[in-house]
Amino acid sequence: MTVVLTARELTRHYEVSRGLFKGHALVRALNGVSFELEAGKTLAVVGESGCGKSTLARALTLIEEPSSGSLKIAGHEVAGANKAERKQLRKDVQMVFQSPYASLNPRQKIGDQLAEPLLINTNLSKAERREKVQAMMQQVGLRPEHYQRYPHMFSGGQRQRIALARAMMLQPKVLVADEPTSALDVSIQAQVLNLFMDLQKEFNTAYVFISHNLAVVRHVADQVLVMYLGRPAEMGPKEDIYNKPLHPYTQALLSATPTIHPDPLKPKIKIAGELPNPLNPPPGCAFHKRCPYATERCATEEPAFRQVGTRQVACHYAEQFL
Amino acid sequence: MSLLQIKNLNVRFGDANAVPVVDGLDLNVNEGEVLAIVGESGSGKSVTMMALMGLIDAPGRITADALSFDGNDMLKLSGRQRRKVVGKDMAMVFQDPMTALNPSYTVGFQIEEVLRQHLGLRGKAARQRALELLKKVEIPAAESRLDAYPHQLSGGMSQRVAIAMAIAGEPKLLIADEPTTALDVTIQAQIMELLLNLQKEQNMALILITHDLAVVAETAKRVCVMYAGQAVEVGQVPELFDLPAHPYSEALLAAIPEHSEGAERLATLPGIVPGRYDRPEGCLLSPRCPYVQDNCRRQRPSLDPQAHSQVRCFYPLNQEVA
Amino acid sequence: MTTPIAKTVTTPATPVDQSLLYPSPYKEFWQAFSRNKGAVAGLMFMCLIVFCALFAPWVAPHNPSEQYRDFLLTPPVWLEGGNWQFILGTDELGRDLLSRLITGARLSLLIGLSSVLISLIPGVFLGLLAGFFPRILGPSIMRLMDVMLALPSLLLAVAIVAILGPGLINTVIAIAIVSLPSYVRLTRAAVMGELNRDYVTAARLAGAGLPRLMFVTVLPNCMAPLIVQATLSFSSAILDAAALGFLGLGVQPPTPEWGTMLASARDYIERAWWVVSLPGLTILLSVLAINLMGDGLRDALDPKLKNAA
Repeated sequence: MTVVLTARELTRHYEVSRGLFKGHALVRALNGVSFELEAGKTLAVVGESGCGKSTLARALTLIEEPSSGSLKIAGHEVAGANKAERKQLRKDVQMVFQSPYASLNPRQKIGDQLAEPLLINTNLSKAERREKVQAMMQQVGLRPEHYQRYPHMFSGGQRQRIALARAMMLQPKVLVADEPTSALDVSIQAQVLNLFMDLQKEFNTAYVFISHNLAVVRHVADQVLVMYLGRPAEMGPKEDIYNKPLHPYTQALLSATPTIHPDPLKPKIKIAGELPNPLNPPPGCAFHKRCPYATERCATEEPAFRQVGTRQVACHYAEQFL
Repeated sequence: MSLLQIKNLNVRFGDANAVPVVDGLDLNVNEGEVLAIVGESGSGKSVTMMALMGLIDAPGRITADALSFDGNDMLKLSGRQRRKVVGKDMAMVFQDPMTALNPSYTVGFQIEEVLRQHLGLRGKAARQRALELLKKVEIPAAESRLDAYPHQLSGGMSQRVAIAMAIAGEPKLLIADEPTTALDVTIQAQIMELLLNLQKEQNMALILITHDLAVVAETAKRVCVMYAGQAVEVGQVPELFDLPAHPYSEALLAAIPEHSEGAERLATLPGIVPGRYDRPEGCLLSPRCPYVQDNCRRQRPSLDPQAHSQVRCFYPLNQEVA
Repeated sequence: MTTPIAKTVTTPATPVDQSLLYPSPYKEFWQAFSRNKGAVAGLMFMCLIVFCALFAPWVAPHNPSEQYRDFLLTPPVWLEGGNWQFILGTDELGRDLLSRLITGARLSLLIGLSSVLISLIPGVFLGLLAGFFPRILGPSIMRLMDVMLALPSLLLAVAIVAILGPGLINTVIAIAIVSLPSYVRLTRAAVMGELNRDYVTAARLAGAGLPRLMFVTVLPNCMAPLIVQATLSFSSAILDAAALGFLGLGVQPPTPEWGTMLASARDYIERAWWVVSLPGLTILLSVLAINLMGDGLRDALDPKLKNAA
């Protein structure tokens, strides 16, 4: 299987001014994320707000330059690419956003919006572009008459289809989906998720699926990456993570996710408190203040992201949960 | 005697011929009961509660055979009488905590405002009580938070403050409209646990409005499923989840990723909720129902509030046809 | 026994497609606009003015410059001494007031339209630049605009005309310069609001270059406040031209322009009130009509953009 996306120690820091007389603080929004993604597979990035998943999305789609680390798209290194190379790379990574209401241009017909990537990046004639647009529209379940319509005439689910169609127009190798179904109702979510899976089969696209909904993630992912405060906590094959989570944060996430048939025998892992301030992260393991198993070692020594069995975990005591 | 009685509630925006947003709703809630109202967008669940609290302005019109709370006829109350009830005996917690709090005033001021209005507390007594309330909703360092502004609080903290304001008047009924949708999963678990503890402690009735069936399965005792403004099924938890009687309830459950049973595609209902222009003559689900029969398209089934299991369907599933 | 739900196809099979039931954007706009009675009244009055302006030579009963020496200061027809030949009376040089008002409409509309265009186009362009380059270029442009806004607009216009000399073209230039800052500010604010939206990011991801981003992606979404501002500047352009004309700095006689008509009739307020009041009333009604239209436009355009179905 071809590897289409390689990330090595991706890092993104922001400088934040703290007022007139204090110096600048450093927010480590993304702090050393590495993974490999194969064509036709889905990597789900899971975490709560402040974990760095949006920053990761922006780095992967080349909207922002990482502060350090390397990113390779289809074998081509991103860092140091010149403008022309960047334009080429752009074609290989596209994105679908969370809000179906904000991701389409309200003043442009959807047919024109779908044709825009082709207009900018290819030399196709107007008729050829239109043909491709109509083909894609049919594939996502829209009718030919919809070409002339404006976004506000569609429902949320239909808009996400249009957004997905637009992202797939250039048949990118990687699609980053940032919480694409979080704003949709359950039944519409099911329709849109089905569409995602169909398109992946058709175009063999690799997906980076960012979500906080663990139930959805279980359905779509092949690999799961759990993030906490900009750092990876655990990464591995989906079934292993769901059946036997090794990192206490993953355990807490899974435990906190409500299910339709709750098991009364399974204990609920409660974690107190909230995400620490990213301007002032705790020493040692970022999670130790909320972890039910924390020891002195956790408060002083930052755990390395190491291989344990089929996956990678950042916890000193990962083996104890096996 | 139920605490809350709703009989044949209709809410329309526009003239008497306008399509109803809430269509003939019957609902009873007893003291100390936890009821969940479940539905997708357009089902009318939020509008029902807004109508109950008198928050619907013209051109919305409310008609009902009965709309009584704690012996008060909510339809006939004057503005002043309503203000005595709403916020004190009946309180609401909204979805987005960041916008539910006034950004220009401190947290302490806003809680004290509720105490002043409904309990007549002032000065030191009010501040003391506000502090107690913050501690009750488990806000750490409550003393310093009294003087904090909403933008200085995280989502979870703001929602706790909103809950504190809601329980300040010691309400008999607390309505929570999607209280955790905007929050992370671990914070969601904390807030739901808090709500349930408060409910038990103060013997409040709790109406939980949500689209998340899993949250309902873990918290409520009774659930009312709404579709396109009508209540289509009312039943006990977990019976309704194990054996749904209405095709829409079954479809909702089937569409959840949890129930995909490893299948590639999620089960979905074709089509979308009827809008203004295409409300069917017969059963509102008939254009989409997989079990539809001829008379379903011509007649509207009714919901018998006295029956043991309340289903709005001519051919309920899992039922013996008499 | 339940029959299992068929695993259905993704394609939504709505019998009546909701999106096709929506009227076209133009129809939607007209429906919203026509709900505002004041706006429609304003529109009709403006249509009348435009008609007069376009067909002045045929509509006006007399030549506006022709002086009827025998009929100096004739009152309007409904007063004593009035004459059906001069429906609204004549001025101090015996010229028919109605014809001058009708012909004056041409100039007022011309001044309004040209000053709006001359300030709108550079103003929008500068605003786009300020919004897209917020680090250095933006603040420089905005400081320049702040300086211009700090000076009272009428004084600024007077100063410009004093430098350039009186006349029609210089009046237009002066008014255009004075209205420039508001367009720049509006555009910049709208652009900054839109730049954060996902669809702009999506256009960047599709590879859109700067010109495309500015003019095709963002600008159409900033049009609503600009259109409203343009209608309102139109009316203040008429007022400014009238003021300049009143001060003797604008259009020079004998060209009929509502403001200059006011100026030259100053001395006759007591003897022949109609020579002053009628031009003044015309200015008032035109400005009122345009403002009502602007209100209606704003109400019709703004909520549409933010409305999700």
